[in-house]
Amino acid sequence: MIDKKDEIILEVKGLQTHFFTDEGVVKAVDGTDLQIRRGRTLCIVGESGCGKSITARSILQILDKAGKIVAGEILLRRDSDEVLDLAALKHNSKAMQSIRGKEIALIFQEPMSSLSPVHTIGNQIIEAIQLHFDVDKKGAETRAIDMLKRVGIPKAETRLGSYVFELSGGMRQRVMIAMALSCQPRILIADEPTTALDVTTQAIILDLIKELQKDMDMTIMFITHDLGVVAEIADDVVVMYLGKVVESGDVNTIFHNPQHPYTRELLQSIPKLGSSDRGRLQPIQGMVPHPFARPKGCSFHPRCKSFMPGVCDQIEPPAVTLSEDSSVRCLLYGGVERDQETNLSSKEV
Amino acid sequence: MASQSTARQASNTTGAVKAEKLLELKNLKMHFPITKGLLHKLVGRVKAVDDVSFTIQEGDTLALVGESGCGKSTLGRSIMRILDPTAGMINYTEENNTVVDLASLDGKSLRPYRQAIRMIFQDPQSSLNPRMTVFQIVGEPLKRYNIASGSELEDRVAGLLKNVGLRPEYLRRYPHAFSGGERQRIGIARALALNPRLIIADEAVSSLDVSVQAQILNLMQDLQAQYHLTYLFITHDLSVVDYLSDRVAVMYVGKLVELGTRAQIFTQPKHPYTEALLSAVPKPDPRLRNTGARIRLTGEIADPASPPTGCYFHPRCSYSQDRCKVEEPVARDIGDGQRVACHFAEELQLKGVEEI
Repeated sequence: MIDKKDEIILEVKGLQTHFFTDEGVVKAVDGTDLQIRRGRTLCIVGESGCGKSITARSILQILDKAGKIVAGEILLRRDSDEVLDLAALKHNSKAMQSIRGKEIALIFQEPMSSLSPVHTIGNQIIEAIQLHFDVDKKGAETRAIDMLKRVGIPKAETRLGSYVFELSGGMRQRVMIAMALSCQPRILIADEPTTALDVTTQAIILDLIKELQKDMDMTIMFITHDLGVVAEIADDVVVMYLGKVVESGDVNTIFHNPQHPYTRELLQSIPKLGSSDRGRLQPIQGMVPHPFARPKGCSFHPRCKSFMPGVCDQIEPPAVTLSEDSSVRCLLYGGVERDQETNLSSKEV
Repeated sequence: MASQSTARQASNTTGAVKAEKLLELKNLKMHFPITKGLLHKLVGRVKAVDDVSFTIQEGDTLALVGESGCGKSTLGRSIMRILDPTAGMINYTEENNTVVDLASLDGKSLRPYRQAIRMIFQDPQSSLNPRMTVFQIVGEPLKRYNIASGSELEDRVAGLLKNVGLRPEYLRRYPHAFSGGERQRIGIARALALNPRLIIADEAVSSLDVSVQAQILNLMQDLQAQYHLTYLFITHDLSVVDYLSDRVAVMYVGKLVELGTRAQIFTQPKHPYTEALLSAVPKPDPRLRNTGARIRLTGEIADPASPPTGCYFHPRCSYSQDRCKVEEPVARDIGDGQRVACHFAEELQLKGVEEI
């Protein structure tokens, strides 16, 4: 691989994915921008319903029937330096199929429901390998065994003939990872891969993902709602709220100098292990609005402690660049016309 | 509503005077038979809960922690008598100080205690009947126990909803119209309807988003102070345990491996399994990454149908010695009420959580 550390390998620009249901249109992803740099781990955090999983599914175009990408670009930089807009491809096109699994692979949250219950794990991994590589069954099998060994499954040769129900939760997730990595993807999207696991197993799986990333020179997009996991694994963080990226930056900035009120309150609301302050938790007031009743202006304004009447409920905040790789979508930092020029990085208003 | 709170206050004052143990488990066992073939021949037993003893003081919160499959939910269900324990005693102290063994009661005679011990379930999605309105769900226990009917029932349900932070106007709505956090509030209102003394919360906040989780945890603490409730809080999330518990019980493959106050368990754990659990919790601070030695448990949690010999934890324990393979450790008091089932509890220097 050519030495192009830190180049942007995947860029999502103004992505809008809407679901057309009988009751109306759900704007699940409503103008998301994000960038992933080569070899780094980007974590997408947010509460359920914020569109983090739909963003990932949009990238691979594996949305439900009702879901459509209505606007935006998903730019993938390939090895040949050619840039491909995945949003422009048809979901069933040859090009898309060759990217899925081969260049971008996905690990799901619940391995029990995302692996086939009626095929052996060997069959499933071999199928994926043969789809993307010109190898015979024997070759694919060797490769599958190597991969299972690589993710730490004991007696990989015999495990090839096992069914999913014969494995424990942690082992299933290892199989899922082995399958995703069997075609050596350049980008791995992991959608809540450890949420269903025990903390002890979670710690091991996170270690495994980090180790494999180093060995295989992989770029990772990691979706989670667990801020502890983010602190453990992320290089860069994107915080989403109601289909939009409200703040992005490197992991230290997000945790120790968060700018957006939502990020701040999210960090304050979690119980911390070993915290000397045993007072009350500070929850975010109110709850995530119904998808059909998105608030006008900044969508966080009904829950925000820094709400400015007449401003936040009227103007939709634009993304404000704070430094080279951090930006925030909040009117405290600019976007109100009258002082847009002067107020780019200050906190007053 | 008014009559309800005075009734509660009355019970609170008597309860506060006692402030003694509300529930005592003695060598509780819940074994499930494994049968095979046409004649259901008994071929083995799954020892889901095996010889568990502990007490819960009135007004306290005892957290029960462990990995999935360790038997913590089965234990909760045995106390509720949803399951019939195989052996052991569940001694419940009534308000007039008489002690009853719930494990020996059945059917009708259990009815009054079902009022005093209530449960909150993990998944608010599946624990509420989708075809019943909130009024029916929360009002059902009141009707079943002939406590209220007609307009009084309506008033009381409305009062309960207000207590858990829901608007009484929502009375006629169905569960699908609520978000996850609101559904969990409905579940809590239902549990509170009969003025219980003990609430068993089985992973009550595990499926909620962090911001909503904080709201529900605060609500549960408020209700505890208001009604002098006792909680048995079953969870796998140690940061939640650290936040709300008074005492902590750690389970591993059906057995209680360590029991102590929150401070004991978190700052000076004495069982290697507790240490490993604490070490595995991801800390929400990127600066702590790669600091200190992390303990990673190898191998899988033991199968409760065919557990290892000796100490059940020995195949995964990094301190294990020959003795652990053959001799099963007995839970013993190592001072200040901390109970540990490990041969080397006194010698090992284990690491707890550092205060941040």
